[in-house]
Amino acid sequence: MYWNPHIEQADLPTLRALQAQRLRDTIAHAERSPFYGALFAKCGISTDSIRSVEDIRRLPFTTKEDLRSHFPYGFLTVDKKDTVRLHCSSGTTGNPTVIFHNRHDLDSWSNLVARSLYCAGVRDTDVFQNICGYGLFTGGLGFQYGAERLGALVIPAAAGNTTRQIRLMQDFATTAVHTIPSYLFRLHTAFAEMGLDPARDTALRLFVIGAEPHTEEQRRRIEDLFGVKAFNSYGLSEMNGPGVAFECTCQNGLHVWEDCFLTEIVHPQTLEPVVEGEVGELVFTTLDRQAMPLVRYRTRDLTRFLPGTCPCGRNHRRIDRISGRTDDMFIVKGCNIFPMQIEKILMRFAQVGTDYLILLQTRNGVDEITIQVEMQAAWFTGDLAALEKLARQIVHEVRDEILVTPTVQLVEPGSLPKSEGKAVRVRDERQA
Amino acid sequence: MIAHQLSIFLENKPGRLEKVTAVLKDKGINIRAMTLATSTAGWGILNLIVDRPQEACRHLSETGHPAVLREIVVVRMADRPGALHDMLVLLANAGINVQNAYGTVLGDGQTAILIIDVEHTEHARQLFTAAGVATLTAEEVYCV
Repeated sequence: MYWNPHIEQADLPTLRALQAQRLRDTIAHAERSPFYGALFAKCGISTDSIRSVEDIRRLPFTTKEDLRSHFPYGFLTVDKKDTVRLHCSSGTTGNPTVIFHNRHDLDSWSNLVARSLYCAGVRDTDVFQNICGYGLFTGGLGFQYGAERLGALVIPAAAGNTTRQIRLMQDFATTAVHTIPSYLFRLHTAFAEMGLDPARDTALRLFVIGAEPHTEEQRRRIEDLFGVKAFNSYGLSEMNGPGVAFECTCQNGLHVWEDCFLTEIVHPQTLEPVVEGEVGELVFTTLDRQAMPLVRYRTRDLTRFLPGTCPCGRNHRRIDRISGRTDDMFIVKGCNIFPMQIEKILMRFAQVGTDYLILLQTRNGVDEITIQVEMQAAWFTGDLAALEKLARQIVHEVRDEILVTPTVQLVEPGSLPKSEGKAVRVRDERQA
Repeated sequence: MIAHQLSIFLENKPGRLEKVTAVLKDKGINIRAMTLATSTAGWGILNLIVDRPQEACRHLSETGHPAVLREIVVVRMADRPGALHDMLVLLANAGINVQNAYGTVLGDGQTAILIIDVEHTEHARQLFTAAGVATLTAEEVYCV
């Protein structure tokens, strides 16, 4: 039932006491780094400042900009010779962000991923095909090490080459797959083109999906298409990668592994804690990382704590699926809009496909929002009036959700741009 | 056999129509009549009468075009004032809504026919038969 029973089932006082002890350790490690050494000295912070987890609020926040401006070694607490791995971002918009790990860190991370997979139902009897980029992207090696730790047979399939992915699934009777949700739709199309039915022609029983925000509706669609349960995985490279929060078999939110991540949800502008249950920005402090601990790191991911306890018996709090990022929010006619709000509506319509594109344009000096959605060939009847009615319904329901009236364009299946990795959802063509 | 028109979903963008006609040309399919119904939101439906509709529909679907066959009613038009009006009155009196209608000329270059897209094709056919207006079979339409 549990991978780390004493930690996963720990009662709240035990968990909070463990967090407080580990937070003090983290501060002690962190102050050895040039960045935190200077910052803590300036703010007069030491391990003595921490008596309970509530004292976290006395500590300053860390941002992605801090990571970038102290690239590459400003956050390192140990000698470089004692680190064994780094992962870094592409750095297309400035310095990359880099995270260093020592042996302890990799061991702790692998254990967290193993715990996550186990809680979603993966076992050592599973054949686990990891369909995502290996290399600098943390999903590849992160799941590789975690699934190996769990004892599954891991196929490091990496990304791309859909025909070969299907071949691997058939040759080795793959039972569990980790990938990004948008890829599963492509995979399903490929199955159909090869005249195969995944339910009949594979041994698939479980998906782990993450790295790409998606809605509950999209998850259900995946489950219906394949007849396979899909579990939500959450992580970010600054917090190792995968294995930060994960869905258990109850599928009612993601348990954050609180023994390793002190978790706060704050208002993105005031940075004050939100009222329990309200949506805000996730903030993490690593509690079991030595080479490069991070304190109150602002993730820019938006979610809320879910109330109540989970029937699975784990006391680690649950967060809702990520509803957006503070930086992918866009503003049209004064309304704050997240792409996820629009996706949620689109997924209610069986007649439209799974790809969509939100276009933001300026017409006659006014911001306009156009949503392009793909027609599903199977629903096409040749009736113009029916299509116009469908487009009108989508307009109405989206307007009710985002309070701005969009233009809905139906487009031919497969005509929307697909990127090799994550799907492109918003294109902002507005003039400043 | 009941006649069918081929209906194809199209985005209103340069080159889209050509992609469809390229498929038909490639398969040697002859277009007998066409109309294009467009929505204001940048897409529309292309309706075609072709000589081999089933085959055309299959090729278009295989090349990724949403295409379907829709049943139609085809009648021969008498060459006199009021002929079209009389036929439309028949449908209107029966409460049958016309989704789309277009005309073409038979191969003899003399006879005009009317292609009608209605919801209840069987009902419409019965009305015409009862009024003494002959409806054309698929074979007659495709060989126009």
